[in-house]
Order: sequence, then C-alpha cells, then structure tokens
Amino acid sequence: MMIKIIEIIALPLIAFIIGIFFMGLARKIMARIHWRYGPPIFQPIIDMIKLLNQKSVSHGFIFDFGIIFSLAGTIVLILFIPFAKISPLSNSGGLLVILYLMLIAPLGLAISGGEAANPNTSIGISRKFILALGYEVPFILIILAVMKSFHSISLIHIVNTQQAGNWSIFSSVPLFLAGVAYFLILPAMLGLRPFDMVTAPQEISSGPKVEYGGKYLALISIEHALTLYISLALFVDLFLGGASNLIIFFIKILVVFIIGIFINAVFPRLRIEQAVKYLWGFPTLIALVGLILTTII
Amino acid sequence: MDRNQIKKWFKFPAQMGHKYSLWVTYFCTGCGIIEIPPTITARWDAERFGVIPVATPRHANLFLITGYVSVKTLKAIIKSYEMMPDPKYVVGFGSCPINGGMYWDSYNTIKHLDRYIPVDGWIAGCMPRPEAIIIGVTHLWTLIDKGMASGYKKYREKYKYYRENQEKVLGKLEWQPLFPLKESEEVK
Amino acid sequence: MATFVPIKRKRGSKMSANKLQEEIGSLFKNITLKIAKNNRIFILAQKEQILDILSFLKNKGFDHLELISCVDWIKKNQFEIVYILTSYLLEDEKSRIHLILKTRVSRENPEIMSALPIFENAEFYEREIYELFGVNFDGNNRLIPLFLDREYKIPPFRKDFDTREYVKNLYDSILPVEDKNK
Repeated sequence: MMIKIIEIIALPLIAFIIGIFFMGLARKIMARIHWRYGPPIFQPIIDMIKLLNQKSVSHGFIFDFGIIFSLAGTIVLILFIPFAKISPLSNSGGLLVILYLMLIAPLGLAISGGEAANPNTSIGISRKFILALGYEVPFILIILAVMKSFHSISLIHIVNTQQAGNWSIFSSVPLFLAGVAYFLILPAMLGLRPFDMVTAPQEISSGPKVEYGGKYLALISIEHALTLYISLALFVDLFLGGASNLIIFFIKILVVFIIGIFINAVFPRLRIEQAVKYLWGFPTLIALVGLILTTII
Repeated sequence: MDRNQIKKWFKFPAQMGHKYSLWVTYFCTGCGIIEIPPTITARWDAERFGVIPVATPRHANLFLITGYVSVKTLKAIIKSYEMMPDPKYVVGFGSCPINGGMYWDSYNTIKHLDRYIPVDGWIAGCMPRPEAIIIGVTHLWTLIDKGMASGYKKYREKYKYYRENQEKVLGKLEWQPLFPLKESEEVK
Repeated sequence: MATFVPIKRKRGSKMSANKLQEEIGSLFKNITLKIAKNNRIFILAQKEQILDILSFLKNKGFDHLELISCVDWIKKNQFEIVYILTSYLLEDEKSRIHLILKTRVSRENPEIMSALPIFENAEFYEREIYELFGVNFDGNNRLIPLFLDREYKIPPFRKDFDTREYVKNLYDSILPVEDKNK
C-alpha cells in the first residue's frame, strides 16, 4: 500500500524529468544539424525557472481553470501507462481508459483559450482539434488490432506477454502492420515538424499559447514535456516490448525520439487539410488491413 | 559567464534565470531589424546564450528597439511594452533613439526615447554588427547582476509622468492606464 | 500549387519618339516637347490640357502611370506637378518609351483636375500630394490622410515649413522623467 502511494507520486516526477531532458536534447540535436552550437542541454530548466519568477497577466477564472484542468488530465494519464516495473493503476481499465483520458488535455486548452479572446487562439485550437480528429481514426484501429491479438485490454498483460516472447511488432503480420501505422502517425501525436501547425510561431503567433504569460507558460511547458513522454511510452509498451529494467526502457524511448527529431529537422510544415488527407490515407489503410487480418489469421 | 556555477543557482535562482534565458520580442521596429536574422541563425548563433525570438510580447523578456522611432511606431511600442510580463528589459540600438541621430530635425520621429519608456542600455553603431549585439547582451547580464537594470520598476513608480509625456506626443491615448494614476493620500 | 503566369507582351504598332513628337505637335498647341536620348520624352504643357494628353497617350500604348509627383518652386510662386508614364508592355523593345509630363500650378490656390477617370492608381499619388503639399484634386473625392496622423498648420513638405521650429516646440519641450518632480 505504501509502495503504491510512493509509485503514484514518483511516476509523474520521473516522466517530467525525462520530458525536460528530451526537450533540451531536441534543441541541441536540431542545433547541431544546423551546423551551430546549441544551448546547453539543461536550457529548458533555466527557461522554466525564469517563467516561474515572472508576474503573469490573467484574463479571468476560466482562463486559470482550463490550464489546471488539462495539466491534471495529463498527470492522471501517466499513472495508467506502465514504466518498466512501476505501474500503479495499470490494472484498472487499461487501454479503454487511456483512449478517453487522452482527450482531456486539448479540451482544457480550448476552455481557457475561449476566455483569452484572441483570434490567433481560436485558429490554433481549431487546428488542434482537427489534427486530433485526424490521428484518432488510425489510432483507434491500431488499438483494436492490438486488443484483438492479445485478447485483453490490460497493458500489464501485453507487456508481460512480450517479455516472455518476442517484441509484438515482429511476432505476427497484423501486429507488424499496426506497428508501422503507429510509427507513421507518431509525429502528429508528438507535435513534431510535418504536423506542428498547431503551434506555428510564424503564422499564428504560437497558436493556443499566445496569451499565456509567465506562470501559465511554465504550466503549458510542463504539460508539453509530459505529453512527449506519454506518446513515446505508449508506443514502446505496445509494440517494442516495454522493458523489465528502467535503463532499457529509457534507451528504447530515446531511440524512437531521436528518429522523430531527425524527421523534425528535415521536413517543412504541412497545411491542416494536407495533414488530415495524409492521416486518413496511408496509415488508416495499413491499420485497417492489419485489423482485418487479425480476424482471418 | 557563470552559468556553470551551481552554488549561485541555489542562492539567486531568479536572477540567474532572468539572465540566461532572455527571450526577444520579434518586433521589427526600425531599420536595424536587418541585423537580427544573422544574429539568431547559424553563423553568429545567439541561442547558445539562451536568446531566442518569440512570437508574442506575452512570452518575452527583452525588447530591442532597433533604429529610429516614428510617431506611429511609438504607439505600437508602448502597447507591446505594456503587454510584456514584469521583469523586462529594453535595449536601444544606434544613435537615433538616444537623441534623434540622423533625423534630429524631422517632424515625425521622436528624439529621446528615454522620456517615453524606460531604457536600460544602448548599443552603439548604425546598426551594430551581430558581435556587438551579443557583447551588449553580456553587458546586460552584468547590469542584472548588480541590480541596475530596473527600468520596469521605474515605469511602475513614475507611470504618471511617462503617461503625460506620451500624451503630449500622441494625443489622447485610447487605452486605459496600466497602473492607477491617482494615489490616495493615506498611502503616503 | 500556384502556376507561374508570365507577363503578356502587347503587339502594338511600332512607335518611335520622332513620330510621337509629330503627332503630339499636330494635335495640341502651346506645348513644348524635348527628346533626350532615344527613349525619353519630356513634355511641358498647360494645366487645362493634361487630361486630353493623358487619354491620348493611354490609347497610344502608355498604360502604366508610374508616379505623380510635385515640386515646390517657392521663388517663382508655383507648384510643378509631374506625371511619369511608361509603356513597357509593348513587344518591340525599341518602342518602349519613358514619358515625363509636367505642368505648373499657382501656389496661392493650388488646384488641378484629377487623373482618376483615366488611370485608377492615380488615387494614392493624389492623396499623398494633397496631404503633404496641399494641392487640391478636382474629381478625387477620397482625399483622406494616407501617412500622417496629426494636423499641421501648413502641409509639411512645403519649403516654408520650418522643421527645426516645429521640433523645438514639440519635442524639446517634453522633459525627462527624472526632472519632473522638481
């Protein structure tokens, strides 16, 4: 019982540290690709210390409430994804609960963005919801394929089956197709370069984040760090055989993230209708074929 | 550069944080904005010092006034300056914000930017090269260390006089005063 | 994907500067025309003939009004209004001529007919000249401020507007904030 409480408190902190490290690593790798020295790796920590010491401007009660709502949803979602052997709440609900909780974060942003009364905010939030609509369709097909193959919705059971045998992406053809489809939609869920039209600093002045001052921006950055961890950890748990050891899990997340950063450094930004056209095209087709094959095989 | 000294981070975290992550409002004020893209791209990399351009004044710390200020630009500068969150620094480039510079007898530019918004430092040059801009940022760090870069506090205390000056040039201002203008006698 | 649309060159009759000089000389009296180099013509006309000359030239192939500008001859007590026309869309390169058309207007009550019925983009140039020099254009009913946002006693580009006096009255009278408590 005590161990469970300690796990519940420690897991978001570990996720936060991993997320901050990845944000700094992203800036450093992008800088080196541009042939320049970059900021030091702990630069996001410096940014967060500065943001927490600024006097911010508030626009009303709903403005504050929306951010706290979305941050709370993200923190609760972390407790449902197993991280090596630490998995406080993974036995209750599993994949179905994750599907619902993933939509609290954009909802909180939309609530507080409505109070901000800036046209850039409304354009950014509409783009965010349309993008979520885009990647939710192949995501649900992938989750259905995984649930049918393993005959369970509990993530711990999925991880244990993979630990006993192969990685699930190599164990059967429909799971291979589902894994490839998930990797194709991963930049959209992380908010990386071909799909970063939600926060587009040059076009819509940072989208939903445009009215957030000092402390609010710190909370949004924390939420961004946690969202990075969630999408990557889910991919590693479902398809790359989430590890039994903390270090091996961390290395797996790191490799997937660095591939995502390399894609981020090279591609330009798509428009929102091109993004939805892509997301409902190729990856949906592959995931649908994978789902049909699970019923046949 | 004392970014590596961990003891100082524990003693004065706020000061070190304000120094090593200065976010610049990307507002192209005058003719000197031509020198900002070379400073932030790969050749004279300013991201090593923590300086990145951000899209809105609500995220920003540092406001660079690059070049001459005409009367229409002054309106936009005052609005953006009042939108920035509180510890904020202003740096002027060239001789035009100091005393009018090349446009000393023009009817449409303001001389002496210091009388309308508080300015913390000036960088010489018409326009300064990227190396000079980066050295100016390091001088701003020493000022922040000594506590002398307190333009934002001056603006808060003497807002009545700043607003008088602004109204003489721009006419009646459309926005409400940022800080209350009349002080009650009991406060004194 | 936007497609690239090249500029269409017009097939006009060949126009040479000498032929144009003869035609204009025969149609309009009281006009001085000078040809400098091969492709530049300077015309000095009276202010009542301007609209006729402009419509004649537009039919000839000069369909781009580049600029309307104004010069303040304060000693002669006159404003000089300058129209610059070009014909760079003609196919034959030797027929592309730059034409500069000048008139004089009195400085006391400056007024002239607007070129808006012939060239639509004359609206902005006339707004600028009205704001900065004070010349009234008959027929342009949109003479609202373009650049300046304050009222001046006399329009600021005239040569008797003393900028140094103006600066001393307005900007040097604003005191720095440190000196205000005293």
